[in-house]
Order: sequence, then structure tokens, then C-alpha cells
Amino acid sequence: MTTIEELVEANAISRIEVEMHPRDQTLRLLYGTPGFIAWLGELAKDSQPERRLGEATAAEQVDDLFNTFLSGMPLVYMRQFRSIRAEKNAIWELKTPDIRIFGWFLQKDCFVAVFGNWADEVKDHDLYRGYRIAIRRLRRELGVDETLCVQGVTPGDVLSL
Amino acid sequence: MTCFHFDIGSRARHAGRFIGRVRGELLRVLAEKKAKAGLPQQALAEKLGVKRSLINRQLSGEANLSLRSLADLAWAMDMEISFELKQPMARAGQNQPMTTSTVRHGQIKYINGGGKQVSVFAAPADPEPEQAKKSA
Repeated sequence: MTTIEELVEANAISRIEVEMHPRDQTLRLLYGTPGFIAWLGELAKDSQPERRLGEATAAEQVDDLFNTFLSGMPLVYMRQFRSIRAEKNAIWELKTPDIRIFGWFLQKDCFVAVFGNWADEVKDHDLYRGYRIAIRRLRRELGVDETLCVQGVTPGDVLSL
Repeated sequence: MTCFHFDIGSRARHAGRFIGRVRGELLRVLAEKKAKAGLPQQALAEKLGVKRSLINRQLSGEANLSLRSLADLAWAMDMEISFELKQPMARAGQNQPMTTSTVRHGQIKYINGGGKQVSVFAAPADPEPEQAKKSA
């Protein structure tokens, strides 16, 4: 049976951290695939700030989302996270006003991010189905489709709220 | 084993998290009001004399939230706003900013957006397994 540690050692996924307030500590875990980490690096450049909808840049939105997630603060269901489809081994979406992040929960409070994209691109081109299929294929290739995947689809199944 | 640190710089971090905290607080209170008193966004919009879509966009972060609209939303939800600026305080027992990873003592790699340079390193922190493979 594949373990999270084996996935990390194989460089299939890497741990992601953000600067946290000294009073906070990591209560959830966040991982990313190499492709997602590369996308994150591009986002950090903030090369396309003109595309933001609200006051915060896309990078600021993602930093805030990651900080909220990692420090164990509550996330608002549907506003900040949701499952793409109510199904066994569901694919989940983390959301900011401008950004969508797709992946799955290895375990409760442990998310692995696979794809990140601008919200308008995801919606305009209806990329949900494509991301869902690609992530399911990746999980099969990694051999974790059944073992390292939260089965439930309610918010309480994936996050300690 | 590699650990990536997503760093957008102190200034951007403070701004983004403050904006996120304000919105999160509004969403939290609205959800509570909806559950307890059945106060939907539509009722807020009617009370403020604006379209529901504007309230929705302000709460989702897709539209700017001015101090005036923040005050209006708090008023419509019958809530008071508490705002305070204070010096950051170091307290006994609080965590220190991390400089090393706790994941098998691996090095932390920085994805740094605070400056102009963005560095993403993918090399494993522990080179031993790779060397072992080569020697084999």
C-alpha cells in the first residue's frame, strides 16, 4: 500500500507551507504535485495583476487561503472549497475570487493540489470535467485511487470544521 | 525530500490576509444570521437598497469592499464593527518563524514573490538516495 511518505520520497508530491503567524501552528497538511508547484511559482511572480477582481492580488488570495487551511481555521463550504461532483473518491476544488485549485484529500485535513488556474478560464472553458478526469488518472498511476483518498463528500468528511 | 515555502513578501501577506479576514468574518456572521434568523442575502440587499448580486460579489471578493459598504453590511446584519491597530507582541510560548523543515530535516525551498526573483528548486534535500542509485 502506497503511503504519503513514499509519494513524497518519489517526488510525486511535495509539502507546501506559508509563513504563519507566530501564534498559529500547522493543523492541516498541504501537498502539491511538481506541476502545481511550478504554477505556484509563476503565480508568485504576480505577472498578471490586471486580472484580479477584488482588492487582493491572486497571489495574496492564495496565500490567505493556504494560511487559513494550514492553520486549521474554518473554510466556508462552497465559497472556499467544494467537491466537483458528489461521488466516491471525489475531486475537490479550493477557491479564491480569482483562482481555482483542484486536487483531492489524501486524508482528512490533508489536501494534495494538482492543478491551479484562473477562475474565469476554468469557467469560460468548462475545465471541471477535464481536471476531474486528469486527477483520477494521476491517482490511478500513483496507485492511490482507493487507499489514499477520502471517500466521503460532505465538508465534515474532508475538513475538521 | 523537499518542502516548498510559498512566500509573497510581508507587505502582500499582511494585505491579503487582512482582506481575507474581513471577508471571512462577514461570511461567518451572515451564515450565523441565516441559520438562526433566516436572514438571506436578498434581505440584506433589500435593507440596503442594492442588488443581491452586488452583495454576493462583495462577499465573494469579486467586488471591492469599501469602508462605507463594510459599515453598511454590518448595520444591515445588526452588528457592530470592532477595529484596532496594535503593536505586534511577542508572547512567551509562541512559535518562531520557521527556518528549517520538520519533514526529515529537509531544506525549505522558497517560492518567493516578495522580491523580483522567483526561485523554485526541485532538488531533493537529502541527496543520499540519488547517490545510492548512481553507485548501484
